[in-house]
Amino acid sequence: MGPVPAKRIKTLSVARPIIHGNSAKKMGDVKPPNAPVEHTHIWTIFVKGPNGEDLSDIIKSVVFKLHETYPNPVRTVDAPPFELTETGWGEFEINVKIHFVEAAGEKPISFYHHLRLHEYRNPLATNGATGGNIVSTKNADVESIFYDEVVFNEPNEDFFKVLIAKPGYLLPSNKSDKVIFSKQLEREEIDRIKIGIGKVDEETEVLRKKLAKLTKS
Amino acid sequence: MSSSDIFDVLNIQNRRAGSPGSSGLTPVPSRTPKPQVSGMQRELYNLLGDNTPPIAVQKGSKFKDKMRTMAKPSPWSFAEFEPRQAVKLRHWVKGSKELVEQQPQGSAFEKYNTKLTIPEFTEEEYNSFMGEKDETKDALQKWNFQDIKQLFDTCKKYDMRWFIIQDRLNLEGEHTLEDLKELFYLVCRYYFLAKNPDNPLIESLSFSREKEVERKKYLQRLLSRSAAEIAEEEALIVESKKFEMAAKKTSSERESLLRLLDSPNSDKPIAQFLTSQGMAQLYNGLLSDKTKKRKHEQTVPENPWMKQQQQFAQQKQQMQQLQEQKIVTNNNIPNDQNQIKKTKKQKQEMQIAVKRKADSEYAEQLLQGFTLEERKSLGVQTHGEKLPSGVYLRSSRISTFKAATQTKIAATLQELELPSRPAMPTYQVVHNHEILLARINSMLDLKRQVDKLEAEKDVKK
Repeated sequence: MGPVPAKRIKTLSVARPIIHGNSAKKMGDVKPPNAPVEHTHIWTIFVKGPNGEDLSDIIKSVVFKLHETYPNPVRTVDAPPFELTETGWGEFEINVKIHFVEAAGEKPISFYHHLRLHEYRNPLATNGATGGNIVSTKNADVESIFYDEVVFNEPNEDFFKVLIAKPGYLLPSNKSDKVIFSKQLEREEIDRIKIGIGKVDEETEVLRKKLAKLTKS
Repeated sequence: MSSSDIFDVLNIQNRRAGSPGSSGLTPVPSRTPKPQVSGMQRELYNLLGDNTPPIAVQKGSKFKDKMRTMAKPSPWSFAEFEPRQAVKLRHWVKGSKELVEQQPQGSAFEKYNTKLTIPEFTEEEYNSFMGEKDETKDALQKWNFQDIKQLFDTCKKYDMRWFIIQDRLNLEGEHTLEDLKELFYLVCRYYFLAKNPDNPLIESLSFSREKEVERKKYLQRLLSRSAAEIAEEEALIVESKKFEMAAKKTSSERESLLRLLDSPNSDKPIAQFLTSQGMAQLYNGLLSDKTKKRKHEQTVPENPWMKQQQQFAQQKQQMQQLQEQKIVTNNNIPNDQNQIKKTKKQKQEMQIAVKRKADSEYAEQLLQGFTLEERKSLGVQTHGEKLPSGVYLRSSRISTFKAATQTKIAATLQELELPSRPAMPTYQVVHNHEILLARINSMLDLKRQVDKLEAEKDVKK
């Protein structure tokens, strides 16, 4: 193995927001020359910061594992921007594996992103809470973007220096057309959850009374 | 004094002078030139001694005895015969000339010269028996009577030798062998159907053109295989035979094993135990059976690996405790006396807490220079908890429950119009989300209890 792993800083964690998702556009008659005839959409899958930062200070490479029917389905992007543009006709699960820079000494993390080409709205998810999935028709035909946070729990001291070299957790305070994920959205979500907690508490209280009544009689 | 001295005295010439030291009793081989031999042959010569018998020389080849029959040779005569009219041939026949000439002059092979009975018909007949069926077969459409007639005549002429027929037929357009055969048998069929419909042989007159073409293609393919392909095919067959043998062997082995195990199900078919899962199931079944039968052998055989692991874990724990004690003694000496009175478990907890505190202090120290705002913008946090180190996605650490509970919680969340995965899983959001999940879980627990009590009450009524 390589050098002796640096000491981890206990009980400390550093979080970095990332957004990942895909945008898709329906191709008209104008198609890229090498695209198969049956492909109807052009799409891009990406991993970046909430303001469009390239995140190359912590990410070494991103591996996108496409459907087996694509030629060379395992695509490695080892330079920012960490994104991949392809054409296709169907939706499928893309396995995204993020490899961190060497200094981090961390294992890669992987997750699945469902490639979305067609617009549809969940009728149950109203007032903007679409399960973390924001579908808009502004820039591209369809977008499916998720917010998440990479949490480095107990990073080693070397990597900690990298992490605090520049502020990486900067969210815009207000929602705008360009940036959806903001402190405003976070507050709104917290408020919604708190309302939910309130409702559950009310229900619990009702049930508790019922239980008391039942046990007495 | 040896024998040679006596020979000397008696003036007898010593035959064995050349072999000093050899005892007089053993006969010495003669000096006559002898073929150089070795091995068995030499041993044989030794046994035979000097008197090798000469090789028996057989007398030279012998001719067959002269025939000495007294019988008179039977007469053969070169007689003339007429195999058919206007043809005269001569051949050798047994018997005198007078006798032969009395007999009929036909050929002895005349009886083998048979003709096939191929139907003959005129145009009217043809039209009458083909008339109503004309439209049934497409193949017939382009054939007129003359062509059919020609075909049948040729068939008769060449005794149904199809290759010759195809060659000699003088028709317009190309016709494959199958075309001709199909047509011929079809017409024959209709002819016989009209003549005597009860004939059982009519059924055999059906000719399937597709099958014939298929058969020929298949043969073509079979014959045009390359040597490599043939070899590969043979290798595959051998391989498949091997597999079959192996499968048979394993199944028979399993069968005998099952019998050995004195299985309670041994009279049943073993097909269900042929998979490895089935075997495991059977093993467990037998095990539980045995524990039922013999109460004194209730312990399940211990897994030696597990035992080792447990020992290892214990050792490790002890080591850790020792280390931690060292740290504790260094860090807070005044507490030492109180600790002695505490139980072992409490002690351990104390130690861990102290250690964590030390860690937290170190982390705090690192962040001393940053204001709260700055810490937020860096995403740095000191949580002071024991969490596994490493990197993870915040959204992946949202609590999950048992499958049944999980679906109920999901349904409740939907009722509350909240997503099961927060749109922005930040620390605060996830923290609140976790609280919500815990509350929902306890509410569901309460609800279950209430439902249970209500049901009991209903029963009592």
